[in-house]
Amino acid sequence: MTLADFVNLLINGTVEGLLMALPALALTLVMAIARFPNAATGDYMTVSAYAAVGVQWLIPGSLLLAAVGAIAAGVAVSLLFYLWVFRALRGRPLVASLVASIGVAFFARSILTFSVGQDQLALQVPMMRAWNFSGIRVLPLDLVVAAVSIVAMALLFTLLRLTPVGRQMRAVADNPDLARASGIRANRVLLVLWAVVGALCALGGFLFGAKSVVSPELGWEQLIPAFAAMILGGIGSPAGAVAGAVLLGIAQELSVPLVGPSYKIAVAFAVLLLVLLVRPRGLFGVAIAAR
Amino acid sequence: MRDTPTRRDFLAAGAGVAALAAAPRFAFGQAATTFRVGSLCPISGGGSSYGSGMQKAIEIALAEVNGDGGAGGRKLELFSEDSQTKPEAAVLAAKKLIEVNKVQAILGTWSSGVTLAVMPLTDAANIIEMNTSGAPAISTLDTKDLVWRFQATNDQIGAAFGAAAEKRGFKRAATMAFNNASGIGNTEGFKKVWEKAHGKVVASVVYEPNRPSYRTELQQILGAKPDVVVTGSYLPDSTILLREWYQTGQDVKWIMPGWAANADLVKALGNEVVEGVIAVDAISNEGAASYKRLDAEYQKAMGKSISTNVYAAMTYDMVISLALAMEAAGPGATVAQVNGKIRDVSNPPGTKVFSFAEGKKLLAQKQKVNYEGASSRLDFDKYGDVTPDFGMYVIEKGQIVRKDVITL
Repeated sequence: MTLADFVNLLINGTVEGLLMALPALALTLVMAIARFPNAATGDYMTVSAYAAVGVQWLIPGSLLLAAVGAIAAGVAVSLLFYLWVFRALRGRPLVASLVASIGVAFFARSILTFSVGQDQLALQVPMMRAWNFSGIRVLPLDLVVAAVSIVAMALLFTLLRLTPVGRQMRAVADNPDLARASGIRANRVLLVLWAVVGALCALGGFLFGAKSVVSPELGWEQLIPAFAAMILGGIGSPAGAVAGAVLLGIAQELSVPLVGPSYKIAVAFAVLLLVLLVRPRGLFGVAIAAR
Repeated sequence: MRDTPTRRDFLAAGAGVAALAAAPRFAFGQAATTFRVGSLCPISGGGSSYGSGMQKAIEIALAEVNGDGGAGGRKLELFSEDSQTKPEAAVLAAKKLIEVNKVQAILGTWSSGVTLAVMPLTDAANIIEMNTSGAPAISTLDTKDLVWRFQATNDQIGAAFGAAAEKRGFKRAATMAFNNASGIGNTEGFKKVWEKAHGKVVASVVYEPNRPSYRTELQQILGAKPDVVVTGSYLPDSTILLREWYQTGQDVKWIMPGWAANADLVKALGNEVVEGVIAVDAISNEGAASYKRLDAEYQKAMGKSISTNVYAAMTYDMVISLALAMEAAGPGATVAQVNGKIRDVSNPPGTKVFSFAEGKKLLAQKQKVNYEGASSRLDFDKYGDVTPDFGMYVIEKGQIVRKDVITL
């Protein structure tokens, strides 16, 4: 393997990781603030990707409009299921919301397949040749994927760190009772949370669809990798989710010359196991026992 | 809650019982003069674009047989279920067909997963199973010789890939396989043929489903500088593979199965990307009279040519070969006796016949017949597998153009 090959693998892994970071962030935010693993995360991605295809069908050509459509759909579907299902389950045990979210996932997917069928669709993405720097190939589309992910994450961290509602979200994540006692209205915080989650899933679904194909199982299949990234990074830590996703992505691709593509996913999970053995709370996780 | 039944309850219950008694499918005293056939086509799910046509072709064949007075003194009676292209759903449906309808043959299972799931049931019930699936394991698991495959095996498809690569004069082949029995079966079949003439393939990769990208896998393959990449792939992964390959700008040709390199692939990627992709798929027995007659009937029923659905030609042949076997086995034959005659009436030697009526006439004169199907010559080997012909297509300006017919 030459250096160029190695760098190519590194690039592939980073891009896949940055892509996976979006649903991982959505998962970890819900985990931190609404306090349950949201199994419908993947299907929010799927619905958004279909919305993007729908927008392109109505207005051919524009990728930007398709992205806007995807975000609108993602936010709408996320808020809908919050108001309809998850709000009623607040304060119940985690299992209630978890099971409900699995139901939401199946429900959303069934509605989707019932109305648009099982066949694959594709986003119309302009085909561009890769830039070739003496063997190191960079796909323009991959740069877009990476840039969009990074910008989305920057916006999220700005929201969490620098705005009042972000501070309130972190306060609720840190200690819901204390937050309530200090007059933070949980309802508003949760609405913002679910809107953000919807937007993150939408971007993930849109970029995933642009890179691959849009099919009913698009998001559901990414749920386990996103979970793994969240756990690796430390449950509830946004920075951890990103780091976890990128680390898993890189580990996965770099292992290919050693174990072949069939086992690269297993290697990613072996890395997860190793990290958790040494550091059970994950990379950026807070030790829960201290609370 | 009320605990005394009202008049309305009685009415409802009465109607239910009446409906039950009236339902023809629930006939208790089934006449011994019929041979009961179950169809289990993929009406919904992944195979849904083929399923309805497959079932229609069974009905067309059934009408042909029954219209000619039945086979071996018996009419065929059809019970239809939907496999949903899912092994779990197919198992439930097969159980119902076997236990409730007491069918003596199940016809038309489509994907290998479905066929492999249904086979243990038909085997246990000692009834005939006829499928259109490719997995090589179906041949070896069929220990009672009750399973008949009307589609090419993945091995044969791989051999057809080899023939296509040979015709095009490629020198350095690489393979990429989707990680399942069918995907790997196709590329292994190719390697068997290829390595005899050219030595090892220059690179081969087995990849996982549902990945957002196959760049790393492509890098492994393209790094070996092949002039052709042969895939055992499906539509979604082929779409991603070709898009990413095109963007790398490296010059290489592709040979793909016809169910992956189809009109949907062109639609997803645009004409420029797929230009020159070679597709290989089984084709029907297009020169045969049986094919032409079925085509006319199918056109009438479905409004489309039978060439749009190779599997429908296969299910049609299932009924005809089964009926000819019943005719040859004579009145009152058991399932095993009928099963034992399937090769006799389909394989050479014998007078070639192209319809049930022709065959029935000759069988009555105690002649040996060789049914030439609409789907293939329909000559079963010792595993109960046929060897259809293959078409080699090239995608040109978005059109999938047939260039050659490959006979293995």
